[in-house]
Amino acid sequence: MAMTVTLKVWRQAGPAAPGRLETYTATNVHPDMSFLEMLDVVNEDLIRAGQDPIAFDSDCREGICGSCGLVINGIPHGPDAGATTCQVHMRRFRNGDTITIEPFRARAFPVLKDLVVDRGAFDRIIAAGGYVSMNVGGAPDANAVPIPKDVADRAMDNAQCIGCGACVAVCKNAAAHLFTSAKIAHLGLLPQGEAERGRRVVQMVEQMDAEGFGSCSNEGECEAVCPKQISIASIARMNRDYLKAALGK
Amino acid sequence: MRLQQASASSIGSKILVALTGLALFVFLIGHLAGNLLFLAGPEAFNQYAHALIGNPLVYVAEVGLLSVFLLHVAKTVAGVLANRSARPTAYATRRWAKAKNPRSRKSLASTTMIVTGVFTALFVATHLATFKFGTVYEAAGIRDLYRLQLEIFSAPGYVVFYLVAMGVILFHLWHGLSSAAQSLGVDHPQWTPRLLVLGRVLSVAIAGGFFLIPIYTFLLSRGVL
Repeated sequence: MAMTVTLKVWRQAGPAAPGRLETYTATNVHPDMSFLEMLDVVNEDLIRAGQDPIAFDSDCREGICGSCGLVINGIPHGPDAGATTCQVHMRRFRNGDTITIEPFRARAFPVLKDLVVDRGAFDRIIAAGGYVSMNVGGAPDANAVPIPKDVADRAMDNAQCIGCGACVAVCKNAAAHLFTSAKIAHLGLLPQGEAERGRRVVQMVEQMDAEGFGSCSNEGECEAVCPKQISIASIARMNRDYLKAALGK
Repeated sequence: MRLQQASASSIGSKILVALTGLALFVFLIGHLAGNLLFLAGPEAFNQYAHALIGNPLVYVAEVGLLSVFLLHVAKTVAGVLANRSARPTAYATRRWAKAKNPRSRKSLASTTMIVTGVFTALFVATHLATFKFGTVYEAAGIRDLYRLQLEIFSAPGYVVFYLVAMGVILFHLWHGLSSAAQSLGVDHPQWTPRLLVLGRVLSVAIAGGFFLIPIYTFLLSRGVL
């Protein structure tokens, strides 16, 4: 049952170093291994051979933390819809396949090493306005602020964003509109976030542009790779919020 | 936030592209309606053209239209350049995410907007040179554009060129119309899918109308009609 696959992996020693695709052969790959477990095994072999292991990000390995993110055969997070890289399994590939693995590519996501990129730009977008300002005291009664179920659901759909950056990686313009709009919708839909809605969109969009992300061509490739399947309806909502803020309303 | 600052941002720029694009589409509808008067014969067509040219307000409209056109071009070209610099290192392997999830709206039309846009801009320049600044014939004391159009579209090369150009504009609108709606924040769970279809239907309808004119004129010039 063991598979053998050929890997073409982006290797880059550091942020300023030149990188290139290196070819590796992964043997004894079990179809039930996750994609990252397959890389773990390749790395164990590399370490045993005294070579530098392939650097890649991962943490929870259950699709909820947003750490992992590889471009597998030209698609961020690989072949499965609504899944992160860590949720891809080797049974999705065939014995003898050649698999190309690249880091997320964007000027705003510089490569740190091999397949690891710096996604600090997302943190700075959040810091620019992705919050609700209020003095916290004792927890209020849960039913003190009535929120209709459909509104709570839409806020929750957007709150699912794990900030992985696949939307940026797939976008032909390396735009961060889906990420930014998900945060804006998640907060703005709820009464607690409504008060800062105008200020929030202006500040977050300004930071998004300053980070060097591109603009939105409304193709929706981001929605197709988003592991949480967040809709570009959120981008339309962000555009509306922005238009209102620009017109001073 | 000042409007100037807003219009320079990524979202503000796209809102301007959407507004100017929709304005140009509205112009196209008017232009097609006027052109279809060709079917009503030389008198109606020439008198309509004379009424347009003879009105001093036409200059105001022309300056407005040119400004809208130039703003659309400037914002999109600047956008393409900025977007290219947003990804300095290209992927070695690239596939459309649509392959794994059909929710993507990416199409050949959406990936070639700048190509079809540049072609359209060049076409508009030759179109103006051919008609607006073309040979001036006179009939009954007013410009005889009917004769000019009959003369130009009697050449099969011109007919083919115009059909190709209208095909390119169809392609541009195929993505452009619904994209403009999205940029302006128009979205609704039930209506957005219908809007996407409407954008394509309208692009076929407007191009279909424009396809008709060179073909009709060619057949007329050859005595077939």
